[in-house]
Amino acid sequence: MSAPDTEPSLGGLLRHMRVAVAAFAALLVGLGAIVVLGVVAPSSASSVIMLVLLAAMVATVLLFSMEVPQEPPLTRFFSGLGFAWVAILVGMTLLDYFTR
Amino acid sequence: MSTSERAFRDPAPAPATIGRPPDYLHESHTLRSWFLTTDHKRIALLYLAAITAFFVVGAIAAGLIRLSLVVPNGEIFTNDTYNKIFTVHGVVMVWFFLIPSIPATFGNFLIPLMIGARDLAFPRLNLLSWYIFVGGALFTLADLIIGGVDTGWTFYAPFSTTFSNTYVIPALIGVIIVGFSSILTGLNFVVTIHAMRAPGMTWFRMPIFVWTHYATSLIFLLATPVITIALILLLMERAFGIGVFDPALGGDPVLFEHLFWFYSHPAVYIMVLPGMGVISEIVPAFAQKRIFGYRFIAYATIGLASITFVVWGHHMFVNGIGTGAAVVFSVLSFAVAVPSAVKVYNWTATIYKGRIRLQTPMLYAMGYIGLFVLGGLTGLFLATLAIDEHVHGTYFVVAHFHYIMVGGTMLAFLGGLHFWWPKFTGRLYPEAWGRISAFLIFIGFNVTFFPQFLLGYLGMPRRYHDYPPEFQLLNILSSAGATILAAGYLFPMVYLIWSLWFGERASANPWGARGLEWTTPSPPPAHNFARQPIVDFEPYAYPDPPADDDGAAHVG
Amino acid sequence: MTTARRMSASVAAPEGVGIEVAEQFADATQQRHAAQLGMWAWLLTELLLFAGLFLCAAVLHVTHPAAVARAARHLKVWIGAANTAVLICSSLTMTGAITASRHGWRRWMLRCLLATAALGTLFLLLKGFEYYQDYLEHMTPFLDRPYALAGEPATRLYIDLYFLTTALHALHLTTGVAILLGMTWIARKPRFLHRHQNWIEVYGLYWHFIDLIWIMVFTLIYVVPR
Ligand code: HEM
Ligand SMILES: [Cu+2]
Repeated sequence: MSAPDTEPSLGGLLRHMRVAVAAFAALLVGLGAIVVLGVVAPSSASSVIMLVLLAAMVATVLLFSMEVPQEPPLTRFFSGLGFAWVAILVGMTLLDYFTR
Repeated sequence: MSTSERAFRDPAPAPATIGRPPDYLHESHTLRSWFLTTDHKRIALLYLAAITAFFVVGAIAAGLIRLSLVVPNGEIFTNDTYNKIFTVHGVVMVWFFLIPSIPATFGNFLIPLMIGARDLAFPRLNLLSWYIFVGGALFTLADLIIGGVDTGWTFYAPFSTTFSNTYVIPALIGVIIVGFSSILTGLNFVVTIHAMRAPGMTWFRMPIFVWTHYATSLIFLLATPVITIALILLLMERAFGIGVFDPALGGDPVLFEHLFWFYSHPAVYIMVLPGMGVISEIVPAFAQKRIFGYRFIAYATIGLASITFVVWGHHMFVNGIGTGAAVVFSVLSFAVAVPSAVKVYNWTATIYKGRIRLQTPMLYAMGYIGLFVLGGLTGLFLATLAIDEHVHGTYFVVAHFHYIMVGGTMLAFLGGLHFWWPKFTGRLYPEAWGRISAFLIFIGFNVTFFPQFLLGYLGMPRRYHDYPPEFQLLNILSSAGATILAAGYLFPMVYLIWSLWFGERASANPWGARGLEWTTPSPPPAHNFARQPIVDFEPYAYPDPPADDDGAAHVG
Repeated sequence: MTTARRMSASVAAPEGVGIEVAEQFADATQQRHAAQLGMWAWLLTELLLFAGLFLCAAVLHVTHPAAVARAARHLKVWIGAANTAVLICSSLTMTGAITASRHGWRRWMLRCLLATAALGTLFLLLKGFEYYQDYLEHMTPFLDRPYALAGEPATRLYIDLYFLTTALHALHLTTGVAILLGMTWIARKPRFLHRHQNWIEVYGLYWHFIDLIWIMVFTLIYVVPR
């Protein structure tokens, strides 16, 4: 039985969540950067930078929130596979539109 | 050799008939025990019943199509009725028969048995996917028959979204629902094959049947969601005017075709890969020989499942896609032929110098190999840009895919049904009838569909029921073939059901085949194995044929 | 065999944390592995489902760049940004629930689960408010009322896509909140963590992923095309 008195304080809980808190902060920074680049001060290079930032945020969620590195190799493979297939879908369809 | 023989017997010290625990069929008899079962074997039989019913509906529609095409001027049905009939045929056969056919029945039944597991990883999910399948499919079927839909199985926009005056919306809803059943089945298989293998059952000890189902399940997972979203987009556009394909607003209907074929080309491998798995079990068993090039077949399976995702554009060559893209899709489509051919060579090499027994399953398997080759080769014609300009949208395409889907998948399905029938039911089917119907189907099939290659090459378009009178002879030939084919299908339906009560009782391994599923009694007990099997043998461990043999002596 | 591997931080769990083995599995490790993998496979399908919508956005962007940019500038980007922040917070609380469940801290787990559900609900409320604003500004072309950008028909395609994408995401979130509340209700029983600790882990994956999808929706639909 997990007796209630063994439960830590909020600080105690957060001490066990250092990685998650760091990821949280990183995601908020990423969001801020995207908003600045896209809404507050857009420039011609913004789109590319935003896509890179998006990729970084996606990686952050996968690696730290969803703990992919702690999963067995197979799950890691699955998470990569999904994005590879999205790339096929989008890439080959756009190939059509760019060669029309 | 000795250890492997021992391991084979180990899991099932085949008990005498008397006093053995009740098998999965006789464990309980209530209706409830069937409709709420979580036993993968019973669910497989539920699927078998459901898809057989859908097959009958699809076949009746096919009969009506062939009936109409006997005369050139389309007198028998009105245009609208004809359109509705071929839509029933296409939707039911593709979505409700071929796609679930082998995986949901044989795959469900056999995967846990073949890898030495007690059940699939998620038994309740398995039952749920049956209900989703039956619910969605019946819903669509009711709509197709009571209301009628005239879009064909492909639901191309903008006809389906804007111009069709038929009941497209319920059909879309039903097909979307059925997609979830595919996804859940695929998910269940992937997890089961990864997580539930018996000790010692390494990847390269799995039967090819399991490999092909693994590849199929990956396609289920990676492709089905895309058709789901494509159909949702159609549905929202037709029902609420919320959509992205409307050309009147500047939308591009070809975008729908991209999404559609991103699923539907891989879906043809959903239909054909499990059949390849069935053939890979039957051929070694009836040649009593180790399968040739096991690893190559396994790799070719995964190869097919991957390449199949990058060729979808070959369905759109004349629909306005970019030339650059068309060339890329054409070249990649040729590449699909390589792993397909690897498999054909491997089966042929397995048969070569084997101790061949030409029983019903083997007859189907040999038919499969021949027809698959024809279907695949004509696929290469179609993948060639210049030829496709000429034959796209003609009966040549119809013949091509029927050679693979009927000549391939359907023969594999029947072959597998006969091969594992003793395991499913504990009874043997009548061999003579089996052979007769296998021959009827092979002949009927070719008479039906070969003329369609000629018709297509001469320029007869698909999906019309009036045609120039000079095509009548070939059309009559095709319709006549369809009656032979129909007889060939009727026989098994009768004698297989007959055998449930009157068939000879089957032993655990009536074919002398290898594989864990043959080590349990026929039919298997509810928990599959009396003891947890431990696998220390290679797959297809058939005894080596005598070295100095010319092989021919054993044929027959 | 793969099953021998470490599945999650809770394998070496404190007393009172574990799972009840279902009959088709040989042991708890196998069951954990299967459940985890099953959820990943499901998430794979979710990714491809949304990928179809992102593909439509990309194609519209290529075929009608000006109309898409104009339409995108009418989206309520600040509400979208606020909502992204809300979901990022909810991911943190979800991780809190997972961490607490691994240590057997039931109260923290329940608190975190409720906080997650509350944040999810906040997201949905903001989303509803956003739709209402769209309505007021005549940005609902499919409704039987004037459309603000009627002069440029292609903008309508993008606005339709925006509604479809965000509504599909909202549907996922609504289901997510419902499951979360149901699970919290079950988890309030003292012995929950003895029997079903991995529910929290598996569900957490879903929640994080819905969050991830939203981050993509926000960036790709609201911001990049502007
Ligand atoms: C060697 C591999 C294959 C190649 C290169 C190939 C190529 C093609 C091509 C290029 C087309 C389009 C023809 C046109 O519409 O102009 C086509 C149509 C089709 N193929 Fe194949 N194919 C192959 C294997 C298969 C398999 C294995 C199946 C099914 C199990 C299949 C089923 C179909 C179907 C259903 C259509 C017509 C779809 C429709 O428009 O309704 N094909 N094939
Ligand atoms: Cu194709």
